[in-house]
Amino acid sequence: MTIAEIQRALADITAETDPTPKHFKLASLVSAVFRERGVELVVVGGSAIEFYTEGGYVSGDLDMCLVSPPRLDIRTRQELMGRLGARGGPRSWQVAGHFVDILGEVETLARTPFDELEAPYGPVRLVSPEDLLIERVLISVYPQRYEPAEQCARKLIAVALSGQVEMDWREVRRLAESPEYLILPVLETAVGEVAHELGKPNPYHS
Amino acid sequence: MNSENPIPIIPKGRPISWEDWLRGRRARRETGNRVAPEIIRRPRSSSDPRLRMLFNGERGLPFKKPS
Repeated sequence: MTIAEIQRALADITAETDPTPKHFKLASLVSAVFRERGVELVVVGGSAIEFYTEGGYVSGDLDMCLVSPPRLDIRTRQELMGRLGARGGPRSWQVAGHFVDILGEVETLARTPFDELEAPYGPVRLVSPEDLLIERVLISVYPQRYEPAEQCARKLIAVALSGQVEMDWREVRRLAESPEYLILPVLETAVGEVAHELGKPNPYHS
Repeated sequence: MNSENPIPIIPKGRPISWEDWLRGRRARRETGNRVAPEIIRRPRSSSDPRLRMLFNGERGLPFKKPS
């Protein structure tokens, strides 16, 4: 992207007052600038949850992780974020009235691919809904009950059961049974409750 | 997308366009609101100091209802 294109994009993002599109326009711009240098990023955490659920969850920071290469030296990070007029670093920057955090290599156990949004400044990759769901289910009960994570999980289950987000329920079950999570009973209970509340078939009752 | 479900699904294995993602926002929000409160933003986190400084005491921009 040319400096002029970046400036126009930053003006558009700064003027955006709806937090969810703002996050994804910003993720699109950051991804584009890093992609030009051969670096692939993925959106994780609350911003990814918001992408799938519109759940009123996202705050003022955008979390992204490295896909490839798995590590990026500080100088390159500062240089690339500098192209966006960012302040701060080396893992968190202020850009266009928001914070962008680049957190290191992405943690994913799901075999399903990253989802992708064709956003205004280029593609944005998002961590899979299977990874997000099982992570939130775990956080909702360990190390102790945590209601925001439970609410995120319920909204994610609801949009998937309603056919608004494609979810691989078999893969979610595999993750839940894996030694890294061991959370299958909690998952099945949550899915069963939401399915009942929405009047939708429970994917775990054949 | 098919004729029975005019709301664009967020698909697996192929990208969703910006326009389709925007078109599905309202439906996804309404579905989620049937099983959890409308706003579920965390009341606090370790990022509070920097967020509240940037967003006039809040943790981010106020949410808007998608049209």
